[in-house]
Amino acid sequence: MNVSTNETIPQRSAVQQVRNALTSREGVLFIIMLVAMAILSTQNKNFLTSSNLLNQVRLLTEVGLVALPMTYIIITGGIDLSVGSILGLCAIMLGYSWQEWGLPLPIAIVICLAVGVLAGFINGLFIVRVKVPPLIMTLATLAFYRGLAEGISRGRSARGYPEWFFQMGQGDFWGIPTQIWLLLIFTLLAGIVLARTTLGRTLYAIGNNEIGARFSGLPVNRNLLIIYTFSGLMSALAAYIFVSRVSTTRSDMGSGLELDVIAAVVLGGTSIFGGSGSIVGTMIGVVLIQLLKNGLALSGVASDATIVVVGGVLVLSILINNFIQDRKNTTL
Amino acid sequence: MNPSASSRTFSNFIPLILGVLVLFAYYRLEFIQHPTLGSLTYPQAALERDAQKVPLFDADGNPLLDERERPREADLELSGGQLLWFAGAVLLLLGVWNVIEPRLDATIAILVGLLGTLSSAYFVVFGRTYLAEGATYLAQMGVGFWVLLILSVLLLAQLAFPRVTPSPYFKPSRLLGNQEAVLLFVIVILLVGVGILNPRFLAERNLLDILQGNAYIAVAAIGMTMVIITGNIDISVGSLIALLAVISGRMVVNDVPIVISWIAPIVLGGIIGAGIGWLVAYLRVPSIVVTLAMLSILKGGLIIWTNGERVTDMPLGYYLAQWKPFGVAMPIWFMVILTLVAIVWMRYSGLGRSLYAVGGNKEAARLSGISERTVVLQAFALNGVFAGIAALLYATQFQLIQATPPPFLELNIITASVVGGVSILGGIGTVLGSTLATILINMIRSGMVFINIDPFWLKSVQGLLILITVLADLLRRRNQQ
Repeated sequence: MNVSTNETIPQRSAVQQVRNALTSREGVLFIIMLVAMAILSTQNKNFLTSSNLLNQVRLLTEVGLVALPMTYIIITGGIDLSVGSILGLCAIMLGYSWQEWGLPLPIAIVICLAVGVLAGFINGLFIVRVKVPPLIMTLATLAFYRGLAEGISRGRSARGYPEWFFQMGQGDFWGIPTQIWLLLIFTLLAGIVLARTTLGRTLYAIGNNEIGARFSGLPVNRNLLIIYTFSGLMSALAAYIFVSRVSTTRSDMGSGLELDVIAAVVLGGTSIFGGSGSIVGTMIGVVLIQLLKNGLALSGVASDATIVVVGGVLVLSILINNFIQDRKNTTL
Repeated sequence: MNPSASSRTFSNFIPLILGVLVLFAYYRLEFIQHPTLGSLTYPQAALERDAQKVPLFDADGNPLLDERERPREADLELSGGQLLWFAGAVLLLLGVWNVIEPRLDATIAILVGLLGTLSSAYFVVFGRTYLAEGATYLAQMGVGFWVLLILSVLLLAQLAFPRVTPSPYFKPSRLLGNQEAVLLFVIVILLVGVGILNPRFLAERNLLDILQGNAYIAVAAIGMTMVIITGNIDISVGSLIALLAVISGRMVVNDVPIVISWIAPIVLGGIIGAGIGWLVAYLRVPSIVVTLAMLSILKGGLIIWTNGERVTDMPLGYYLAQWKPFGVAMPIWFMVILTLVAIVWMRYSGLGRSLYAVGGNKEAARLSGISERTVVLQAFALNGVFAGIAALLYATQFQLIQATPPPFLELNIITASVVGGVSILGGIGTVLGSTLATILINMIRSGMVFINIDPFWLKSVQGLLILITVLADLLRRRNQQ
């Protein structure tokens, strides 16, 4: 056995691996997040406490859940603008079927999820079968689903849910907010599916070259249908958590959610043109945005004003990342 | 390209002649001018029915509604003659165009046919209401009615006349050859359909309201169309309009001369647009990302700056959008003139053509010596200018300027472009389409109110119609290939 080569090569590659990890899109973003946290924690001593951080995670669960399928969709080069409207429609269906139809609440939750799946499936079906560009299809359903929510609810809100219903949005499980468990499980699953399964790798293939993916015999249509349906399901789940967290149902719930989610996904390093991105990056993006908002709010910045910083960070992080990735490509 | 004089035949002059006849009829035929016959009074029975629905007065005769909300007597009168006047004027313009440029014959024939439908609808509405009242109207009005009716039938019939260069490929299906024609058809069908169900829909005031309500969206959609044609998108335009409107309002409140505070949003819009364009074209950040960030920055910046306080107490001369030269509100003039200028510019100017070149095929555009970066930068700068004009119209239309953008403004603008037939992938689309789409969308909203559809369902019907229009466009393009 040649000992020297065996020792030198792994050593060099380990250094390289660390450097690669740090200069990867996710790594750069992670460093930006640490810097932001360090700065924010010097501004206010309440920021870096576990109760505050846990509370913040409670608030970001809905965006986080919807960001998972959005990452998939953007990786394939598509986009889903209707997630906020699906959330509104599902929330209304939950409250309506419980209050107006008099169904038991568990069945109402099932209906809520089923409506989300159906809404996402309709998006996917038109995109796959009729070949409507995703941006246009989901733009149309953005108006359509929100309109359904308004029409069904007729502007009324549903309140007065039983105590157990709030467990999901306001309760704790093993000392940690319930919905965080759900977010963790789904993030883990979504990450594994994207990185380690045929389905996940196919998404990258579709995003890089859809025609090529088709000619390679990959089930492009089936996979697209799956991810848009998944997007509907996650929006419905977010609706359930949202209703449980705020204890009421209104038809304007989740408006503007799509922009928050897309901002998080793009901040997380997923290319809007498709073909690259990761769940880890997306989650860092989601967390970074929420921490920025919270940290600035604690430092006394008006809550509406924090979005200015979020927008600035979005552009800056993309510029920094583009710069670093360009340098890397030219030096390596 | 230059049509020779010999290529003009009699059929080229048909729209022109018809236009002259319709205008002549409008001015000469007495029954249109006659106050009781010409402007159609809404039937008394229907007035009473409506009065029961929305009680206008309480038992003592005191008005229940605010003065502005109460339908005025004049609103309930139909001056269908105005519709005819409009049809005649447009017909005349088309006729002149047709003589100058005979190769557009087929397109103009379609437009003329649509105007024929419009004037026919006028007669349906006109006659139906009077027959319902059991009046002996037809006997009274004599020959003028029949002359006009025959004219509008002729307008329709001229579709079948042989064109200058009868193409062997000409099929009736080509009438729906482009998205603009489809939109026009839908607009006319809506006008006729809703107009027959509820004649008040066709009242001059309502039609002008439909045109005016979304005019600033149509203006902004012109710039958006250019940006989308280059293969980019701008989702920050709604916040930009709100910001520029507030800037303009604050300037004039702080004693800046009115004209400068009118021009300022346009200049500023151009500068901000150029900045966005620079980020997109030279730093290679995807446009959706840049404008997503700009959306946050502009919206948040506006709220920080104003604390959510709206601007009021502007001086009297400031309200540009409330001016009504020749009886038509300023936003409509802006919409029509800017659309026409943009159509000509995008069709015939070098930069206008290069927008399509860059959006259609970047590589080919580069090889033919077009600088993609410059074109994209200019498209965004122009988009900013149009957003500035839209902001000017938005700021001067009411007595106050809100400090928050109207909800879904950027989505409405993008929707107008997309429904107007602009391909989101770039390279295809016209400004005419986006303007027609804006009008159509507002007309759908207004029409639903007139046929008593529950307002809570408005948005879902709107979404459904957007989907149907886009699907029709897709299917048509597929058939053509």
